[in-house]
Order: sequence, then structure tokens, then C-alpha cells
Amino acid sequence: MRVRLEDVWVRLGGIDVLKSVSLEVGDGVSVALVGRNGAGKTTTLRTIMGILKPYRGRVEVAVDGRTYEASRMKPYHVAALGIGYVPQGRMIFPDLTVEENLEVARGGPVPEDLLEWIYSIMPELKKIRGRLGIHLSGGEQQMLAVARALVRNPRILLLDEPLEGLAPKIVASLTQALAEIRDSGVSLLITESGNLKRVRKLVDKAYGIDRGEIIYEGDPHKMLEDPVARRRIWGL
Amino acid sequence: MVSLDYVAVQTINALFYSSILFLVASGLSLIYGIMRILNLAHGAFYMVGAYLAYTVIILWASGSTLYFLVAPLVALAALAALGVGVERGLIRPLYGKPEELQLLATYALILVFDDLVKMLWGAEYKSFTVLAGGSLRIGRFTVPHYFVAVILVGFAVAGLLWLVFSKTMLGKQMRATAHNPEIAAALGVNTDRVFVAAFALGAALAGLAGAVAAPILTAYPGMGTEIIVLSFAVIVIGGMGSITGSLVGSLIVGFARTLMAATYPIMEIALIYIIMAAVLLVKPVGLFGREERERR
Repeated sequence: MRVRLEDVWVRLGGIDVLKSVSLEVGDGVSVALVGRNGAGKTTTLRTIMGILKPYRGRVEVAVDGRTYEASRMKPYHVAALGIGYVPQGRMIFPDLTVEENLEVARGGPVPEDLLEWIYSIMPELKKIRGRLGIHLSGGEQQMLAVARALVRNPRILLLDEPLEGLAPKIVASLTQALAEIRDSGVSLLITESGNLKRVRKLVDKAYGIDRGEIIYEGDPHKMLEDPVARRRIWGL
Repeated sequence: MVSLDYVAVQTINALFYSSILFLVASGLSLIYGIMRILNLAHGAFYMVGAYLAYTVIILWASGSTLYFLVAPLVALAALAALGVGVERGLIRPLYGKPEELQLLATYALILVFDDLVKMLWGAEYKSFTVLAGGSLRIGRFTVPHYFVAVILVGFAVAGLLWLVFSKTMLGKQMRATAHNPEIAAALGVNTDRVFVAAFALGAALAGLAGAVAAPILTAYPGMGTEIIVLSFAVIVIGGMGSITGSLVGSLIVGFARTLMAATYPIMEIALIYIIMAAVLLVKPVGLFGREERERR
């Protein structure tokens, strides 16, 4: 399964927030999308999910030999193709329990073996399965947000700054969980606002984005040496 | 000296009135809570429910006990269907548009339904106080069994709504959608279906309310406006989007109104708005309200 953005332009409030963005994720290739706040990372993910519609260009999802144009579909149909979404700020449903959050995303009871797999990757969740979303810590919320995106057996997972604002210990265990998810055959698209190093080992490829334009595409380990990326993302 | 039987009868009156208010207000509140649509036409749904009940009883043998089973069910089903039609045809195209368009559209519906009712049933009051089922003796007073039945319907609906929201998948999806429809949809929840279900359920409750209220409060054009104003007071007091809030708000408004009607009628409506203003000052989101959800 592969998601491909081709010359995507998105306008919000009269301003072009994505300008001819092209990128690809899937078929076993995980990618990072690195850029400052406001560069267009969240907009890119929201566009892939069909929440925002491009006024030019298209978002294609190729799955099992068929190609769908996600830019013309409802978000819930895009999700059903096999794309899991972990939004920025986690967006846990606060008055549902951990398991209810999972059920709602699944649209019914989560199969026992899938649930066990999720709990084996993130054992912390099992202990708090009956707790309300509003009572979870930041780290627990982030794990739940990841788990919630896994209940439909996605083959591509979009993660919007999943490591933001978490304690170092939790960053480590979440990174480990994401590595396991990737190794199970799920391709990741992770956005990151500055710290490339902490997501570098999870991905095969990196994109740099600045002011709605892709300014780097290539090896994540060479991105820090790229003069354009250095200047436009890190101000070096 | 106020006698005990008098207090008991007034309590039943207050509960009867609270029950009707709850049926209307809970639907209004759940539509607002899930869809963020302030459905001004909700009172019109209540009115249509009342007229449907009237028609059923005219067609049916007047005074038959069966009426009390059939009329509310007819109103419930008809208004659910009407709700689906209105959501699909009028509300859905307005999602994401400025709120004043929704207000105008639902206000327009009030005018349309008021005139439709006048065309179909005439402008005069339709009184059909057929109190089948006998009455209850409390001291010097008698209370129709019907009052007690309506009170039970109100509590039964409250219980059923609680079950739907806490136990069923649709209910959980409604709670998720109420909190953040965009994220719910991106996770795979068919939010269009949730919206139409919420609107139909709300409309059905309003229709049921009209049908059970009509034999006591009569059916007349404009009855919707009267109930909707009080229902807004209920959900402002209880908290927009909270079913518990609607229940508590209905009881507060129902008892306040009955108390004033019995003691100091000139303040009957005023007290309700004094309570509403006090709640707004102390807890602007209402007694059981939540802070506004994230805006996209």
C-alpha cells in the first residue's frame, strides 16, 4: 500500500499553506516530514486524510492493485483503506475510557488477538484500559492515540509529532513501540518539528518542508548536512 | 395551611411538565451537543408530533386506551423519518457554513411547518382531552393515570438514552463525534451517519413529546415556539449537550414553574429566567455543561 501526493496545493484563509507538495510513503518505506511549526506538516497529514481538499494536485492511495483518489473521499473512507491517523495533540476522546476510545475507532469490539498485540507493544495501556481519557497523562494519551490508530489494521500510519512534549523516558519507550509497529509491516509517516535525530532511526527517508514547500528529499542521515535544509529548517 | 395531598398533586403536575420538557430539551441538547446545530425548528417537530397524535385519535376510536400506545409511536416514527429528511435536505449542505445560515434555515422551517399545520388542520385549537385509563385519588384530589404514565415515559426515555450513550456503539460514536467530529471521521467513524442518527433521534423525541403532551396541553399552531423557549432555558441551566443536564434542568424548570403557578403566578415565567441568569453568571456552561470543544 502506498500514499502519493502529487503537486498538491492547499489554501487556507486565502493563503497557500501547501505549495506543490509531492511525497510518497508506503510499500515498506517509512518517512519523516521535518519542518518548523507552521511549515505545513499538519496540513499535509490532514490533506492525506481527506479532511482538507487540495485545490490543485491529487492524493492517491494505491492498495491491492487499485488506486483511489483520497482527495475526493470522506475521511472515514480514507481511514477504511488502511491509513491510521495519530493527530497532533493526541485528541483522545476525554469522556470515553481507553477501551472505548479503541472500540469507537474500530467501529465495534476490537478482536482479542489484535488487542493483545497492541498491549504487548504498549503494556502501560493494559493497566489503564478502564480509565477515562480525561484522566490519562500525556504519555498515556499518546500511546492511546497510537493504539487507536492501529485497531483497523492499517498498513500506513500517519503520526503528527508523536514525541512532542513527552518526558525522555516516555520518548524512549514510544520510539521502541513505533519501531515494533514498523517492523510488523506498517509504513510510518512521522512529522517532527526540529529534532531529526530522535526519529531518524525509525525512517528510511526524510522530507524537509518549509513554508509549504518540500525543500529536501533524501537520506535522513544526510539531511543535517544539506545546506538548504540547514538554513531553512534549523536556521544554521 | 398547605395540605399534604395538595403538595402531592402539585408534585405530580410538576413532574408531568418536567417530563414533557425533558423529552423536548434532551433532543434539542443532543442535536446541539453532537452537531453544533441550534435547531430552532425543534419546537415545530414537537408541534407536528402533537397534530399527528390528534389525527391518530380522530381516525382511531376516540377515547380508546390503545390510543395512548399508538399515537406516540406514530409520532415517534414519523418524526424520526422527517428528521432524516430535514438533515439530508437542509442541514447537511450547511455544515461548515456560517452559523447564521443554520439559524435562518431552521427558523424558516418553523414558518413552513406553522403554515403547513394551519393548511392541513386549521388554525383553531385542537382539544382532545380523552383521559382514558381512569384516575388516581390523592386525598381530596384526583389525578389522571395519564399524568403518571407521561412521567414514567420521561424517566424511561432518560434511562434508554443513558443506555444508548453508555452501552451501544452508535452511542459511543456519538460521544466521540460530539467531542471532535473531524478526528472521529479521520479515525474511521462515519460521522455523516452519526449526524443523521442524532438529528433523527432528537426529532423523534420532540415528536413523542408533542404526542404525549397534546391530550393535556392541546394542539395549536405556535405551540412549538412556546415549548422551545422554555427548552432553551432548560439546556442553558443544565448545560448544552448534556442529557443529565437536560433532565436536571427540566426538573428545575418544571418545579419552579409549578411552584410559582400555585403561589405567585405573576412570577411563573420570570423565576425560570432568573434561575437561568443566575446559572449563566455562576457557571456559564450550565450545571452539567462541558467547556467548548476544540474548534477546527
